[in-house]
Amino acid sequence: MVSMDPQIWLAAFFTIAATSYAFRDNLVFKFAENTFIGIAAGHAIVMGVKNIRDYGWTHIMSGEMIYVVVFVLGIMMYARFSDEYYWLYRYPIAFLVGNGIGISIRAAIHSDFIVQVRATASPLIASDALGTVNALITFVGCITAMSHFIFTYEKMDEGVLGWFPRIGRSMMLLAFGASFGNTVMSRFGMYQGRIIFLLRDWLQVI
Amino acid sequence: MSVWEKLTSLPREVIMSLVIVAMLIPALNPLGLPLMTGDMSLAWYDTVDALPADSIVLMDIGYGSGGYPSLGPGNIAALHQMFEKDLKVVLMATSLEGTMMYPLIMDVVRPEQDYGLVYGEDYVFIGYIAGEQTAMAGVLGDLKALVSVDYQGTSINSLSLMDNINGADDIDLVAYLTTAGGIAEGWVYQAYSQYDKKVVGGFLSMMTTSLKPYYDSGQLLGIMDGIKGAADLEFITGHPGDAIVSSDILTFTQTLVLIFIIIGNVSYWMVKQEGGN
Repeated sequence: MVSMDPQIWLAAFFTIAATSYAFRDNLVFKFAENTFIGIAAGHAIVMGVKNIRDYGWTHIMSGEMIYVVVFVLGIMMYARFSDEYYWLYRYPIAFLVGNGIGISIRAAIHSDFIVQVRATASPLIASDALGTVNALITFVGCITAMSHFIFTYEKMDEGVLGWFPRIGRSMMLLAFGASFGNTVMSRFGMYQGRIIFLLRDWLQVI
Repeated sequence: MSVWEKLTSLPREVIMSLVIVAMLIPALNPLGLPLMTGDMSLAWYDTVDALPADSIVLMDIGYGSGGYPSLGPGNIAALHQMFEKDLKVVLMATSLEGTMMYPLIMDVVRPEQDYGLVYGEDYVFIGYIAGEQTAMAGVLGDLKALVSVDYQGTSINSLSLMDNINGADDIDLVAYLTTAGGIAEGWVYQAYSQYDKKVVGGFLSMMTTSLKPYYDSGQLLGIMDGIKGAADLEFITGHPGDAIVSSDILTFTQTLVLIFIIIGNVSYWMVKQEGGN
């Protein structure tokens, strides 16, 4: 029994239309693509206005006048469309960049550097054999992969020393392989969701 | 043109058709292949399970319609576990489309009907907050200075759950699901590094390789690895859904890709042996 819900039919049509691109670019795909872009843009505008209202305007209305500065900075963003006042656009951008860096830099150094170094420098002998093998692979992989990025010492790629970057490259290739496998699974994971939708919700055969 | 040359230049229509057939066969006739639960999913489950009742969880819906098939089922399973454990959940979205995913998830979880929960007392959705890490810092730093109304425009002062939630100090766990690398890293930076909060993260499988070091170093206490992680969590929580149905499909299609890779490499090598390009 095929679904009688028009919403399901609409979703099924756009699913098939989007999939059709995998076979060849066509008019139906273009229609689906443009519809999606239109809806996404519309949604973004609505959410943008809602954000301005919820996180800016309501504060001004409750007397927090500091938010006027935020509005002024926001309006200055539009100066980029003017040849004469383009320079004004740099101020909110400078504010955004400074704010972004200020918020993340301390945590980034902690998470990506200090904690990672601490975790990598853990004891090579673990509580079980598998853990020890794991720790050894991590240790060898880390040292050799880093040696691949030493560009200032010419003899790094020669003789016995040359084995370090060579092993490092292999380690990185293993990681790229794992990444590729995961990427394929991600893409199929996305599409199988639509296949299940078509079979269960639209055609109702499963 | 030899057979090997033909194999090296298989039209994409053929490959795509085979992929779709490989998806349809297990979808129509589920084989019930065994599911091996991953350590990272178990760690997610255990982290949530260890929280006492009434603990506060901040959950970020950081994905949109494109990420829903991979992350939606996991999000649903995660909420089932949290509501069964009587945890209080504050939901937010760092993705623009996250607000559209919220009703899809709640239609399946059915907190009022199946768990007898009350919106505003047991869970709240504060909606989309722009700015990624800035939004995270704002929510964890001083939530009420940033958010004055929930997604429906209701003042958060009128929602009893929000009475005692002002920032990171009042939050016991941060759980997020996202398709964006910046958001995945951002929660680690802002919640773990800045406030030493417990954090569990769910993301697309393709992101796992680069984000797993956060799990290995103890910054992420659990990972939901895309649809595979979602299937694990559905299995552990006892709430089978779309992800478990997907397991057979994924196994079939991944095997097909493996066969394509072998055929591609062998035919490339054979063509070279025959003196071709």
